Amino acid sequence: MRVLSSLVSSLFLSGAAIVSAASSWSFEDATVSISTKGAGVGGGSKDKLNPSTPLAKSVSLGAGDTLKLVLTNVDGKTAKRPHQAFLTLTDPTTGLEESFVLSVKESGKGKVDLSQKDLPHQFLTSSKPLAASIVIGSFGSSAPYKSKVFDLQVSRDPNVPLTIPEAPLRYAAVPEIHHIFRSDPKSPPKIITLVFAAAVIGALPVLLGVWMSLGANANHLSKALGDAPVSHALFYGSILAMEGIFFMYYTSWNLFQTLPAAGVVGFFAFLSGSRALTEVQERRLAGLR
Amino acid sequence: MRWLLSSALVLVWSAAAAAKSFTGNRLLVVLEEQSEREKYSVFLEDLTSRGFTTKVESPKADKLSLFRHGERAFDHVLLLPAKSKGLGPAFTANNILEFLKLEGNVLVALSSESATPTAVQSALLELDISIPADKGAVVVDHFNFDSSSASEKHDVLLLQRPGALRSDVKNYFGGEGYIAVPRAVGQILGNDSPLLSPILRAPSTAYSYSPKDEAEAVEDPFAAGEQLSLISTLQANNAARLMVLGSAEVLQNKWFSENAKISGKSIKTANREFAQQLSAWTFKETGVLKVGKVVHYQDEGKSKKMNTSLAIPENNPTIYRVKSDVHFQVEISEYSNDHLTPFVPSPNDNIQLEFSMLSPFQRLNLSPIAQTTNSTIFGVAFKTPDQHGIFNFRINYRRPFFTNIDEKRQVTVRHFAHDEWPRSWQISGAWVWIGGIWVTVAGWLAFVAVWLYSAPTERSVKKTQ
Repeated sequence: MRVLSSLVSSLFLSGAAIVSAASSWSFEDATVSISTKGAGVGGGSKDKLNPSTPLAKSVSLGAGDTLKLVLTNVDGKTAKRPHQAFLTLTDPTTGLEESFVLSVKESGKGKVDLSQKDLPHQFLTSSKPLAASIVIGSFGSSAPYKSKVFDLQVSRDPNVPLTIPEAPLRYAAVPEIHHIFRSDPKSPPKIITLVFAAAVIGALPVLLGVWMSLGANANHLSKALGDAPVSHALFYGSILAMEGIFFMYYTSWNLFQTLPAAGVVGFFAFLSGSRALTEVQERRLAGLR
Repeated sequence: MRWLLSSALVLVWSAAAAAKSFTGNRLLVVLEEQSEREKYSVFLEDLTSRGFTTKVESPKADKLSLFRHGERAFDHVLLLPAKSKGLGPAFTANNILEFLKLEGNVLVALSSESATPTAVQSALLELDISIPADKGAVVVDHFNFDSSSASEKHDVLLLQRPGALRSDVKNYFGGEGYIAVPRAVGQILGNDSPLLSPILRAPSTAYSYSPKDEAEAVEDPFAAGEQLSLISTLQANNAARLMVLGSAEVLQNKWFSENAKISGKSIKTANREFAQQLSAWTFKETGVLKVGKVVHYQDEGKSKKMNTSLAIPENNPTIYRVKSDVHFQVEISEYSNDHLTPFVPSPNDNIQLEFSMLSPFQRLNLSPIAQTTNSTIFGVAFKTPDQHGIFNFRINYRRPFFTNIDEKRQVTVRHFAHDEWPRSWQISGAWVWIGGIWVTVAGWLAFVAVWLYSAPTERSVKKTQ
């Protein structure tokens, strides 16, 4: 932006100076020609340049081409050698500038040759045409000249690889990084879960039904309780209590609460179990099982 | 009584601290010809009035050394151009670099009218700043020169005060008016170093040439256009500052408020204010950042107010769980001439927090959340990544013209503990298995009951008989 504004202001400035100063720098007989390697005489293009208006069409510089700029520097009307005669290329997007010095003879005739290998890599990859301006200035009171004279379109051979150096480090804010979290574990749709859970729970009535049909029953409960009431109640109760302990362990207890409780219940199950199972054995020996 | 005394003490202290560099006030001015001192008198008086104790010495003065007992003997050095090519044993290139290593600041003023000492030249080359080798090389511009004092030679450049280096960099050198840069030595800065930054670039039509060899027409200029830097700076990794001022005359009384003419327009130069800005930055009166407290805590739904009192320690947790919400806050102040002010970064710039283990897992922009009288509190809330390990909260804030901030706080990030996972019944996919277990339990109880209490049926009784 600053570059652009300074360019504009210096253009304006030079324009103003041309009006006011007694003499001012300019050029005459300027041509820009492109010669293509191997195309022979007459190949390429040749255009006359005007100091007051830039060339309407842009000049194209191909891979093997050489650009040749020839002009005569004039101070007012007389041909003269200035101290500064530059061809300045500007990248319109980045504002990058590079000046090429015209070799000027005593007579004021100057020329510069340019090919792609003279250009920095930023110019070779520029998407927009480069603005080529001529700067002529010298010591003393003559007003200097600076104006855009043509656009330079650099067309690179896409088959030739270009080594672009890595952009140097500059201290600035770098892009943000947001950590990508691993996705949470997912459950299958609830309806499927419920169907299968229902199937699993439904298996219990089926099992009980099959047992019933095979003749399972609890008819000897009263007989067993009659024969050994304490031990049967304790034995079955301790098995229930053990399941209760497992439930408590699952929901809230830790291992150190679980183990003593399981030990106590297990002790009662052992003592009462031996009595209860003796009673069961008596029934079997009596042919009641 | 006691508070009266302490407030009086504070007053005295603040009066003593007023108008002073952040790092120290011992300034050495190296000037070969003591007779030239008069030329810089206003600038030197300005420095003295800002609290510097200046010592003007010839480079070859007896017993003059930048170091004493292995420490730097001065905090800042101003090297003014000398007639002779050598600067003597106290100012070898190695000594100048060593002085920078000890966090001393150097302002090197060059002039095209006197040869640049070889020691300075090689020290600058070491820092990737190149200046023309031949004596008398000068920057001229046929477009922006002072037509009242240099109508023939065009070597007094009149330039607008520089803008910001980039849109995200704070500009310490801007302002109204033109500055005169007479007979400057241009510099080229190496492209690879992020430590170098130009302050004042030459206008696009300027070029540097050697009047001895190229009197008729310039054939091979040292550099041209904006690639030519008139004032450039280096801020080393330890925040030592070096400024190369292409034209020593910028600091001279003559140009401080001179009438000049650029393309028919009469102006007054603003060099005095500009010289003040240049020296203030180089001698660390501006652009110095200071980090206060760094606080982080687990976010439990309520935000905590940061206590910026120095009496209370930071008291940060040392361990976090993965995927927990964390708040981070840091207090940053900027030193501005004589006091600490709340730091405000440029609108396009961001202070960034990295939460990193080897490489950053989170890199987040901090936003200002509060301001105290002399600091801004920046903060951000984020979730710790789902990776356990030893992590760092790190702020590595490096920008041109600011001193560097590199703060680290190490924390452990642990796994979920066994009782921090969701319970199995909260996971719908587990319901089938939980159902299976309870069906098994119920089935087992029913089986035991049947085994214990089942009476034989008729059929089976017959079978056994």
